[in-house]
Amino acid sequence: MSHEHKPALDGVEIKMGYRSLGDHLAPGDANAPGGQAVPGLADRFETRTVQPTAGDAPPWDANTKFTTVGTDVDRVDGLAKATGRAKYSYDMTFPGLLHAMVLRSKVAKGKLTGLELEEAKSMPGIAAVIALKDLGAKVRFVGDGLAAVAGQNLNLVRDAIEKIRAQLEVEEHNVDYVVADNAPALSATGEVEDDWPENAEITTALAEAAVTHNATYRVEVQTHSSLETHGGVAKWTGNDLDIWLSTQATFGCRGELARALQGKGIDAGSVTLHAEFVGGGFGSKLTAGVEGLAVCLLAHAAKAPVKLMLDRFEEHTTTGNRPGALMQARAGVDAKGKIIAWDWRSFGHCGFSGNGGSVAVPNYYTADAKVRRDHKDLAADTDPPRPMRAPGHPQGWFGAELFLDELAAKAGIDPLEFRLQNDREMIRQDQWRFAAHKFGWAAGRARQNEPGARFVMGVGLSSARWGQLGNPGRPPHGITCRIHQDGTVESRSGAQDIGVGTKTVMAMLTAEELGIEPRLVKATTGHTSDPSGPASGGSTLTPSIAPAVRHAALLAKQQLVELVAKHLGVPTADVVCKGGKIGAGQGQLAWEQACKLIGPNPIDVRGQRFANYDGKPFHGSQCGVQMAEVKIDTWTGLVQVTRMFGIQDCGLVIAKKLAESQVLGAMIQGVSYALHEQRIMDKRSGRMLNGDFLRYKITGSQDLPQLECHLHSIANGHDSVGAAGLGEPPSVASAAAIANAVFHALGAPVRHLPMTPDKVHRALAARKG
Amino acid sequence: MKPFTYVVPQSLAEACEASQKPNTLLKGAGIDLIDRMKERLQTPEQIVNLLPLKDELAGVAVEANGELRIGALTTLTQLEQHQALAAPAFDGLRLATGMTATPQVRNRATVAGNILQFTRCWYVRSEAFHCLHGGRGPTCLAMTGENRYHSVLGWSDCVRVHPSNLAPPLLALDAEYSTRLGDKVRRRKFSELFPADPRAQNPEHTLEAGEIVTAIHVPAQPAGTRSAYCESREKLTFDWATTACAVRLVLAGGVITAANLVLGAVAPVPLPREKASALLVGQKPSAALFAKVAEMAYAGASPLAHNDYKLTIGKAIVRQALDEAVR
Repeated sequence: MSHEHKPALDGVEIKMGYRSLGDHLAPGDANAPGGQAVPGLADRFETRTVQPTAGDAPPWDANTKFTTVGTDVDRVDGLAKATGRAKYSYDMTFPGLLHAMVLRSKVAKGKLTGLELEEAKSMPGIAAVIALKDLGAKVRFVGDGLAAVAGQNLNLVRDAIEKIRAQLEVEEHNVDYVVADNAPALSATGEVEDDWPENAEITTALAEAAVTHNATYRVEVQTHSSLETHGGVAKWTGNDLDIWLSTQATFGCRGELARALQGKGIDAGSVTLHAEFVGGGFGSKLTAGVEGLAVCLLAHAAKAPVKLMLDRFEEHTTTGNRPGALMQARAGVDAKGKIIAWDWRSFGHCGFSGNGGSVAVPNYYTADAKVRRDHKDLAADTDPPRPMRAPGHPQGWFGAELFLDELAAKAGIDPLEFRLQNDREMIRQDQWRFAAHKFGWAAGRARQNEPGARFVMGVGLSSARWGQLGNPGRPPHGITCRIHQDGTVESRSGAQDIGVGTKTVMAMLTAEELGIEPRLVKATTGHTSDPSGPASGGSTLTPSIAPAVRHAALLAKQQLVELVAKHLGVPTADVVCKGGKIGAGQGQLAWEQACKLIGPNPIDVRGQRFANYDGKPFHGSQCGVQMAEVKIDTWTGLVQVTRMFGIQDCGLVIAKKLAESQVLGAMIQGVSYALHEQRIMDKRSGRMLNGDFLRYKITGSQDLPQLECHLHSIANGHDSVGAAGLGEPPSVASAAAIANAVFHALGAPVRHLPMTPDKVHRALAARKG
Repeated sequence: MKPFTYVVPQSLAEACEASQKPNTLLKGAGIDLIDRMKERLQTPEQIVNLLPLKDELAGVAVEANGELRIGALTTLTQLEQHQALAAPAFDGLRLATGMTATPQVRNRATVAGNILQFTRCWYVRSEAFHCLHGGRGPTCLAMTGENRYHSVLGWSDCVRVHPSNLAPPLLALDAEYSTRLGDKVRRRKFSELFPADPRAQNPEHTLEAGEIVTAIHVPAQPAGTRSAYCESREKLTFDWATTACAVRLVLAGGVITAANLVLGAVAPVPLPREKASALLVGQKPSAALFAKVAEMAYAGASPLAHNDYKLTIGKAIVRQALDEAVR
């Protein structure tokens, strides 16, 4: 790493942006180097003067030369996870540990009028029974928690659960938002039939359009399906509570539980939350939930440690979901193919809460159009939605991008040309061209399916956007960095790593700053006794903590440099840490030797996250493009995705391998969303029918395409590191690109996800019909 | 899981004796049974684990008369990889075995266990629902509920489908099965293993309480025998069939001289389609013939509210199976 910044009059001059994407084409490729043969690709750099907060690490920018950052480093906790040494909440155990379960409502709507717990309390091996609802409280969905029991083993607990008498005043329920009282009227084929509200501007623009289109789209409920279910293990020591919780928001949940316990009149001297390893969250683990509080209360009542982890049915039915949606668009283009009118309305499938169903749609195609967007959340008597990887986006992008392809087809324009013509974002303009070249868009589009052939192929594309970079936090996020005399280094955050690679990122950033190998750095996450950090939400964790990791390493380095300078008798300003050595000129100490100067007490510092740089970063939102190729068996209706390519703008790439894993994982989840996953409800009982991993279908290895991604590294001038998160951005485009490929292959759109064989056959029948 | 007595027999005779006790269930690999017990869908007082009898009851052998003897406890992997199944006559059986579940399941699951599977109906398999199956309620809830994976043929008061991949090809091959009940040893036609009247009150198979399947027998196939098995699914990895078809044809001089066509996953039992089979006999293979046979295979179908797609796809699968058998 080296800094070549010229100090400007009132700040530091940085170079933002990226080298031409043409430079990333393979050697030997006709287009490399320089991107000359892919017209339009070019270097995109800007310089800007930024004012880092005093004491913060100097900015990294497009000129920075890295040693570790951007390379492939194996997941630092990979071996521990693969061998079972990593202990998840699910694995925690203590002498005398009790096990617990929740009694759940079997009716979807009603009022709790009686709850008899006495018999359960008196049963053998039962240590605690608590009510989770007061008498008279509403019961809102099948699975709503009524009571919880802790006992010696799950068999005895289940016996006790069966002896609890819950009386309910049952009311009529509806679990299908499409027939909710305030739902729009639908035709027999599922098109929204309500009149569009009057709007003169839109009406005029549509009337002026050369080509218009109007269609309805629909997506089903997807559940998060984290491999580790929700729940935790609670252990009181006197008034002090330790809780191991499977969560993606350690500090948020710690606070939530502390407040809730206080509300129950329980005075906790301290609440310490642990989530060192977490088996996925995808947005569903931002709250401690009913089970999180219940396990604390049960442990308090039983005066013993208690474990309460949900089973798979509970996980599917009580911990949130990506909501279903009904979406309708009408739009028009002028004679040149420019979008001049865009009218959109959507209806979100909410649970009993009646919110959380929102749908997002791209706004960068319609800069010059008359635009209207409307959304209404519709309630149903089910478990409410929770955020899931880019809330609202995969739904809306599916509807909007498929609509755009249908509109382009009507106007006789190639989908890629149509995007290039209407997309106002420069970064994505480059990405469209690059992806088209890498994927072989033109050839894929030109391929003709034999008339009457059983198997047909097609290609499709979609854009992506996500609009969040990191935040300093209030109070600012912190990181502990320690350097020990044996040369090992610790980097500690109280925030969590839910499997995305946060620990690896921390180790790599620390190693980069100290000029050592990442293997010397032990990164630890998830204990609220360590400095605070954000939730894993909105793709903000990495960009929020990365500058703090650097700052902590910088402070620790400064202390070590002083020791070394004194030892060598050189000025501190001359001492450099690089390549595992510390020193000035000829006077160099190996890292391990230098650390011996530290003595028995380690260097122990706390770094912090400073404010983002003032002014506009190079890109305030992340752009992406994905392309997909499908092969469809027109006899059986089975869609197979054969190839996918994604390019994802991701700020500074830190841990390359894990960043790619995030992008490829999102594409896989997108295949699953497009083709397989859906919650199926029994309308009469209000109960989910496929609340398991047998009938809730998730893409498996044989269903996967050949996957490739390109990480589009951009110096964004946002803070001292310039990282971007990758939870959300690569999750937006996949299903839309696959749907467009299906449209291309069949010559008829499948407007309802998942695109199961029955729907493919209906689309084929409609095309013929 | 409720506590139960676990019997580890040392011999088939011991297993037979133990299985006479009321409220006893026999366990092969336990792939599905353990899940049902965890959920308390089944709460036996005693489990007889048959796996210790693998020496006696596992393995594939070719008898002197050319007949294939498949031990009840043979794993699906053992069956699929046995050299006797390399003959084209057994293509269907081999393919059906190889596409079942996952490699992990196939390494453990037994042939008899696959054939004697409990229904996968999502109403029957949830203690929250009280449906006709097993006498838990007054009506079949799937018939008027969510039935996309249910029957389109041969159902009366219960629309569950039979989930076994192995049953259709074994029926097509005119297999037989041997059982032991106490001291009684019996050998019957494979079709007798499934209820002739697959109503809700009748279980998935016709075995008596305590009766143990010991082997499956596949007769030697005449020269010119070809077979195939195809199924439609919603995904390729670890899914159950939405429709399936097993066929066995005997070809002589380019003419089909014998045919057995059996449908799976579309009825409460694996369903031989005699009329469709009869259309094939005496004919030369052709696309037109196969299309006609496919129509006949689904003649008389009564799809439910959410599964008429099975007819379109099921007919395509019949055509594909016939195509593959004569390829």
